[in-house]
Amino acid sequence: MSIASPFIKIGSRSSAMAAWALLALLVPAALYSALYDASFIWRLIGYALLGMSAETIYTLIFKRKRRLVCMGSGFSAALLAASVPNSMPFLPMLFAILFMVWVVKLPMVGLPLRFNTAMIGRLFLMLVYPAAVVNWGTPTADVISTATPQELYHSEGFQLEWGELLFGKIDGVWEGLFLLVPGSPGETFPVVLLLLGGLLCWKGITAWRTPVAFLLTFCATTWLCGDSPLFNLFSAATIFSAVFIVSDPVSSPMSKGGQIACGVIIGVGNALIRHFTYYTEAIVYAVLLGNLCAPALDRLAFELRGRRLNRRSRAP
Amino acid sequence: MLRRVKIDWADLPDPRNLEAPYPPPERLHPGLNEINAETFPAFLDEIGLVGMGGSGFPTAAKISAALGAHTLVVNGVECEPGVTIDQAVLLNQALWVAAGAHASAKAVGATHIILAVKNDPDLVSELRGLYPDFEIATFSEKYPAGAEKLILKKLTGKTPPPGARPHQFGYLVQNVVSLRAIGRALVDGVPVIERPLTLAMPSTGFYKNIIVPVGVPIRELVERHELPYDPAVHILSNSGLMMGREAALDDPVEKTTLSILVLRRDTAWRDERPCVRCGACDAACPLGLNPFTLAERVRKGKTNSAAFKGQMTECFLCGVCSAVCPSDIPLVQTLEKGKQCL
Repeated sequence: MSIASPFIKIGSRSSAMAAWALLALLVPAALYSALYDASFIWRLIGYALLGMSAETIYTLIFKRKRRLVCMGSGFSAALLAASVPNSMPFLPMLFAILFMVWVVKLPMVGLPLRFNTAMIGRLFLMLVYPAAVVNWGTPTADVISTATPQELYHSEGFQLEWGELLFGKIDGVWEGLFLLVPGSPGETFPVVLLLLGGLLCWKGITAWRTPVAFLLTFCATTWLCGDSPLFNLFSAATIFSAVFIVSDPVSSPMSKGGQIACGVIIGVGNALIRHFTYYTEAIVYAVLLGNLCAPALDRLAFELRGRRLNRRSRAP
Repeated sequence: MLRRVKIDWADLPDPRNLEAPYPPPERLHPGLNEINAETFPAFLDEIGLVGMGGSGFPTAAKISAALGAHTLVVNGVECEPGVTIDQAVLLNQALWVAAGAHASAKAVGATHIILAVKNDPDLVSELRGLYPDFEIATFSEKYPAGAEKLILKKLTGKTPPPGARPHQFGYLVQNVVSLRAIGRALVDGVPVIERPLTLAMPSTGFYKNIIVPVGVPIRELVERHELPYDPAVHILSNSGLMMGREAALDDPVEKTTLSILVLRRDTAWRDERPCVRCGACDAACPLGLNPFTLAERVRKGKTNSAAFKGQMTECFLCGVCSAVCPSDIPLVQTLEKGKQCL
């Protein structure tokens, strides 16, 4: 391409965006490693390298291009590792990463409809390895039948201290009984995640409209359903999803209005699925629903803006 | 949200300095005895004035269309980042600018003159002393605040319809350098044969506002100021970072040349990558358009819909979408092609 104006570049470059997001993800991973399982961060880095290798192999075979650093797939793989239970075995993870990179992420490059790769990987695991996906710990009690730790706390009326809810470390008899931490490794530190989300938005890596619309409508719908918005906000994958998944630019709409509408769809969908259904992993369905709507939302935003301009030019 | 165009150059050309390294031209035009709606456009044609803010639109036609306007807006907002020539002319050549503004206002019948400048308190206080009878309106420092459409939006309180001209709302918007040229011709009888411009080479820290004869080759400017220009390493930009174009060393300085910038080739080079659909272009567009969707439709030839035409007419190719694109997609070049589909 020849050199043409503008001769100035503003903001981040796309090549570095996934690297920044991956760096941000390493923060909760490092905290989790420090508090619960020292090996987790190394596994996360290993899965990221696996994702990168999968993309490198794909580009070598199908595009005949040599690309050694494929940060996008690396980030998606790391995101998947952080969003499933720490006990997830290697083989399901390998299959999920290969599936999401080879079948969904790369063949869909350039299409208006894109799915969040990590959510596709998680859906794959939910369908193929359902038992592994809900294995949140090693219970010492005889039987625990629950989809997420959040459900367990809720049904047992277990009162979490705010400090525990915000920073993740749960002490007391419950830890001794069930050896539980609230959720998957990535979602354990809501306050840290919120700070990281703010940092990513400030750096221009992620857009703020979709996650903010998601969080607000999620809280509002949860409150309307009669549940505690704060409990739901700071437990399970809500904040983690807002920071790393809902904000994913590739699968979200591009238009400002579309981003807000997509956030609303995901927020309301997530809250309703949590309240009214017995499905686990409500966020997966809600995010994929939002992704499905993205091309239509963009098209609608374009048409509405164009029509409004046409109406204004006809006005006296 | 409009993203601010950041310039990380060490320091911009100081608008308080305006050099004239070439000998001043002699009186070539008798001037104008009486300014009215008939004589003034003819006088502007005689002195060869075109919009010196970069548009190049014949000023006589603009004045003729704006007869009856109630307000003259002196546009000194300085659209292009890294260029301070409008401010330099405002601060150093107030006599000519004021003469040109009063003459234009008289010709169209405007009773009110607004001086539009960037929101810089020091600059504004200096300008208040230099132009006591002008009302000063301040504008954002974000590119492209100096665009006619955005100036009109602020003055009228609503976005003008696509394709509307300021005179339809009773405003005549004239660039500072155009008004200086009018004043110069009226006061000294010098037609439009001079061009104030910013000459800069950021990599060496060279910045200067100078007045040069129209038609002088860029080569002469580069050699006179001993700029270490190397065609393998640098490019020459005629008129600015955002809307300028690459120039050759032997190209002449034109009436519409705002600046000559010697930029490093590697910083200007754009290596296109696949779109990550981040929406930065949508968020940055000062008119709230959807640049990527527009460009996609141009590429696919889907240019017949009313929505496309509405958005394409509104776009004035400011280039912000291309500048903020993290994948360096040449959006503004595609949109330029889209303009031909209207």
